[in-house]
Amino acid sequence: MSTPPVTPVPGGRVDVLARSAQPRGRRRNDVFRRQQARLGWGLSAPALIVVGAVTIFPICYAVAMSVTNVTATGNGFSLSGFTGSNYSIMFHAAEWRYALFFTVFYTVVTVAVELLLGTAIALVLERLSAGRGWMMALLLIPWSMITVINAELWYYIYNPVYGILDNIFSHIGLGTPVILGTRVPAITALMVADIWKTTPFVAIIVLAGLVMIPRDYYEAAEVDGASGWRIFWRITFPQLRPTIALAVLFRVLQAFGLFDLPFVLTSGGPGYSTQSLAILAYDAMFRDLDFGPGAAVAVSTAFLVVLGCVLFVKVFRAQAGTEA
Amino acid sequence: MRNRSRRGWRRVFNGVNLAALLVFLFIVLPLYWMIATAFTAPSNVEASPPQYFPHPLSVANFSQAFSDYSFGRYIVNSVVVAVVATALVLVLGTLAGYAMGRLPMRGKFTVLVVLLMISVFPEIAVVVPLYALLRDLGWLNSYQALIIPYTAFFLPFAIWILRNYFMAIPHEMEESARIDGANPLRTIWSIILPQALPGLFTAGIFTFTACWTEFLMALSFNVANNYRTIPVGVALFGGQFTTSFGDLFAASVVAVVPIGVLVFIFRRSVVSGLTAGAVKG
Repeated sequence: MSTPPVTPVPGGRVDVLARSAQPRGRRRNDVFRRQQARLGWGLSAPALIVVGAVTIFPICYAVAMSVTNVTATGNGFSLSGFTGSNYSIMFHAAEWRYALFFTVFYTVVTVAVELLLGTAIALVLERLSAGRGWMMALLLIPWSMITVINAELWYYIYNPVYGILDNIFSHIGLGTPVILGTRVPAITALMVADIWKTTPFVAIIVLAGLVMIPRDYYEAAEVDGASGWRIFWRITFPQLRPTIALAVLFRVLQAFGLFDLPFVLTSGGPGYSTQSLAILAYDAMFRDLDFGPGAAVAVSTAFLVVLGCVLFVKVFRAQAGTEA
Repeated sequence: MRNRSRRGWRRVFNGVNLAALLVFLFIVLPLYWMIATAFTAPSNVEASPPQYFPHPLSVANFSQAFSDYSFGRYIVNSVVVAVVATALVLVLGTLAGYAMGRLPMRGKFTVLVVLLMISVFPEIAVVVPLYALLRDLGWLNSYQALIIPYTAFFLPFAIWILRNYFMAIPHEMEESARIDGANPLRTIWSIILPQALPGLFTAGIFTFTACWTEFLMALSFNVANNYRTIPVGVALFGGQFTTSFGDLFAASVVAVVPIGVLVFIFRRSVVSGLTAGAVKG
């Protein structure tokens, strides 16, 4: 099998958003460049048209739904009159405020834990003398698993009657807690299921970043007699920062759209305690048929995600610029 | 000073290996429990206390998953949707990725950033408008109801991955092909594509996995049992009956195996895609 072109960037720095390198040492005339540009747009057109046609309309329509009076008719929706009431209903709903808090809290905690655990796992695997390939392959299994199946699996593990976790708890004298029936344990249980599935993803990204750090940095540090802890904070961590930033971005955006896992594992319960923004929007639109307020929740969630992405790109480009 | 040449028992029983063992158990135990339950006799699946090691081993759950539920149908649906969408993404993504990675187009950076935004856009915000659109077209409960949205929403990420691979290919060969008079599509096909094959694998596996696991759109657009994909089938397994976890995990093992094998075979591509492919500039 041919190896992918993983060329380490000098200094191990990885630039997510580097512009494509222009062919060097050759001056091209304008006509040729224009011709090439036309060709480029021609080749991109089919993909851009498909993406645009299928994504732009729904995005605009969702925004429109969130600022109008929406009524479901026999053949679709009718949007009438500009109104801010959908958003004002949303802002005044305790459910939305809780869902926002829960989604942010959930995202922060799971991403932080996954980052710590994932980095630890990557450091362990990097030092592992044998079986690294197998461990990597193993790590990919939870990552590639259907989230719904992951949720069903943990539902079975947490079951109060025949679940294995309560059985283990009772063996070590912790009693048999009703895990999914009470708020804090249910939230924790949800997080554990998520952490199990996505920590391997973080670990693999970090491991690939680790491998790209030049060996001589470590050798120099060891000659200087630096401690392992110091080496980690002075060499490994700074070199890993872009990789970690990327992993965090992916995970934060993904966690913020949290839907599949609570939909199956807890149905947002007990009560509303594991109701994420996406579940709230889904229930509002598909169950209660409150299309306007539901769209307001969905659109504001999307807005937060896009905002996060833009901020990341800005900060990252600025940082890459100062380091270059 | 670290002692690098460890001897005797310390070579096996050291901190690193112990930690690796913990990692191994953390990942494997839940997987073991799923597989063990799938092979437990149906009457023992809900035994309390649970059987840590299924006895007797049984494949009854597997036959039930296919006979009592339409699991075979769900697999066919998932395969059709994922394969067609992945093929479309690769064809369109290769053309666009090549252009974005190698041709001097003004404004392509803006396009790439917009694509990045679309690829992270939460599905929940577009599900209802897409539902209305598909209903107007009479496409609810059909393969295209999933193939078209999947192609559109998973294309941006594939374009990013492919672009990064295309950028890394040296320009010299392409130029000599051009001087020899080969047309652009021919150059892509015979010069660039063979060198970008690992990138195509990576993008393909990512797209396939995304299609295979997608839940929200599949749940909303294809309500008819005949067009449900695996995630929806699994989520609604209990539905009108009580959930039979034995059948459910037998079905899940069948659903996890193909993608697991695929990912295992192409683990290098997946790893480089998770990192270099998506990151490297």
